[in-house]
Amino acid sequence: MDRTVQVLGRQISHTDIVRVFVILSLSLCCILITAISLAQQTGAVYTQLFYFPIIYGTYFYPRKGLYLSGACALAYEVLSYYYVYPNPVDLISTTAQAILFILVAVVVAYFTEKVNTSEARYRSIFESSLMGIILFDQNSFAIKLTNTCVEDMLGYTEEELRSKTFTSLFSTPEEQRVFFERLGSSADITNFQTRFKKKDDEPLWVTLSWRRVTENMVSTSIIDINSRKLAEQAAEESAARYRQVTENSPTGIVILRDQKIEYSNPAFTQLSGYSPAELTGKDFLTLVHDEDRAEFFRFISTDGGKGDQPDIRECRFITKTGDTRLGALFFTSIVHRGVPALLINLVDTTERQQLKERIQKDTELRHGIISTVAHELRTPLQPIMGYLNLLTQDPKTYGVTEETRAILDRCAKSVDRESQIINQMLELSVLDAGKIPLTYSQVNVRDLLTTIVSTGGYASKGDLTIDAPEETVMEIDESKISVVIDSMLSNAVNYSKPPRKIRVSYQFSNAEQMHRISIQDNGVGITNSQLDEIFEPFNLPAAGSQVRKPDRVGLSLSIAKKYIQMHGGYISVDSIVNLGSTFTIHLPKIPPKAAEGGQQ
Amino acid sequence: MTKRILVVEDDEPILDLMDLLIRRLGYEPVLLSNGPDALRYAKNDPPALILLDIMMTPISGWEFLEKLRAEPSLKTLPVIIFSASPSVEEKMASINDPFLGVLHKPVSFVELRTGIEQALKKQD
Repeated sequence: MDRTVQVLGRQISHTDIVRVFVILSLSLCCILITAISLAQQTGAVYTQLFYFPIIYGTYFYPRKGLYLSGACALAYEVLSYYYVYPNPVDLISTTAQAILFILVAVVVAYFTEKVNTSEARYRSIFESSLMGIILFDQNSFAIKLTNTCVEDMLGYTEEELRSKTFTSLFSTPEEQRVFFERLGSSADITNFQTRFKKKDDEPLWVTLSWRRVTENMVSTSIIDINSRKLAEQAAEESAARYRQVTENSPTGIVILRDQKIEYSNPAFTQLSGYSPAELTGKDFLTLVHDEDRAEFFRFISTDGGKGDQPDIRECRFITKTGDTRLGALFFTSIVHRGVPALLINLVDTTERQQLKERIQKDTELRHGIISTVAHELRTPLQPIMGYLNLLTQDPKTYGVTEETRAILDRCAKSVDRESQIINQMLELSVLDAGKIPLTYSQVNVRDLLTTIVSTGGYASKGDLTIDAPEETVMEIDESKISVVIDSMLSNAVNYSKPPRKIRVSYQFSNAEQMHRISIQDNGVGITNSQLDEIFEPFNLPAAGSQVRKPDRVGLSLSIAKKYIQMHGGYISVDSIVNLGSTFTIHLPKIPPKAAEGGQQ
Repeated sequence: MTKRILVVEDDEPILDLMDLLIRRLGYEPVLLSNGPDALRYAKNDPPALILLDIMMTPISGWEFLEKLRAEPSLKTLPVIIFSASPSVEEKMASINDPFLGVLHKPVSFVELRTGIEQALKKQD
């Protein structure tokens, strides 16, 4: 750009000042030379000199040049009139000369103007173009010309760009290499996508088109496609991610349009046994089991209109090989490629169903085995117990001495215990099968505790206190909860040594809305590691071996836990080794539905 | 005349024991080891009470009971299920027979006495 100076409030460039000075001095010289030549009568040969300032002036400043030509013509005319008057021939010729000045100026101005406007138009297009334009030398790659768009795009100034080579604009050597390849391959290229490097080193996606304007000059147009490209990349990435998810999904995914399969993922392809090609365009209903077809059709028809709410159904499918598979599926209405479609997610539940049936069968079988075993174990106990009873009831008849009778009593006790173990084993097996229903009734807590304590004779075993309000009632299955509390008390007695201190207390938890019955003892306690095990079948606390072998089996706590769970409650244990344990039964104030109680 | 108690039981040792126990309780035992025989006996000459085992061949205690109750005159004859099988109560609940009781094996002398007495009282 030119340097400028401030003259009368206007910016005037040095070039203009020089030009104006040259033009004006030339014009002045011409006038002076003309005046001298006229005065000395040397002829009109110097009039042609006027063309220099006129053409020069009109060329650079068409409009002002016209004024200049007018001024020059006037000056010439005045001088000529002064010297040649009244010779009519000379007057006519000088007038013609002056008019010729103006005509020449007009012609020059006209063409200059024309050239200038087209150049201005071109320049404005070039400058204001939304496309970046770079002109570079094909041999040196030196940048010859750029427009503002390029400057804005890359963040360089015009000077900075002019000092660079075109090839240095590329983001990576690889992109440079591809450019060279393309440049060498053919003359004109359109829509060559590549990345430029901005001034701040950020890559910028652009499309280049170029053509050779001269032997060595190449004009390149540059379009910024960065945002589009980034959006495209993001879309591609999300599409790739989506594809990856669908393709690797263990769930079968199918897209239906008018019941025809538009897309199926590998999981579904595998399930169906068909190839993807066979599936595409296939009527989905033909894959559905005959008996489920009507139901399935109703399902997709109603839910199709309902929109986003997925709903799960189970349905049988027929594979290519004719096998029947069971699938749980849900639908979502989607827009696929601009058209409403149905997205089906499908999980093969055949194996789960089979497993469920097998577990059911196993449970029934186990229950059957336990029942039979119990029957077989109990039957021989009957004669033993019966004869023992007979001998001890009537010792004289059978000649039984006092000493023998004591021995027989112990035998009877063992039979009792054996029988109890079998009963508990059975109880547990029935509980596992979920076959025992609960019978709820309103039970007074205090009465319940007192009855259990007196029936079990626990008061005689140590210092036993019952702390329960008189009026409180619970809605429970009395017989089941009695069994639970009784086994807790039995444990409290059996896992402690005299002097025993046992406290049975009731509290109501407002926060939980639960009844709490605690049985606290001063016994051997339970270690942390044993806490989890004591509710497992046949896990007698190891501490048990330290005291007299109790009349107790390892199943009572397992049964207690199950009973309490059936009531919707739980058992918690606090224990310190050698100081004692507290078992707390938590029972909800409002029991779960009695009908459901037995299903747990 | 002493009341007759029919014991239907296929386990020989138990049958022997019941013979002794029932006699001791002051009743007259009739011991039969299968359902069809017992059914014929009961129809012919109804006893005061039947002690009935469940797991038997050729017919089970339940089948025996069904055939017994089919006879109008035997609908109120007290029967005590005398079984080592679990879940007898479940089946009993579904039958809902007021003249049906249960004793689980192994049963003690005292339990047997109480059971029989209660069953007989119910009929009176």
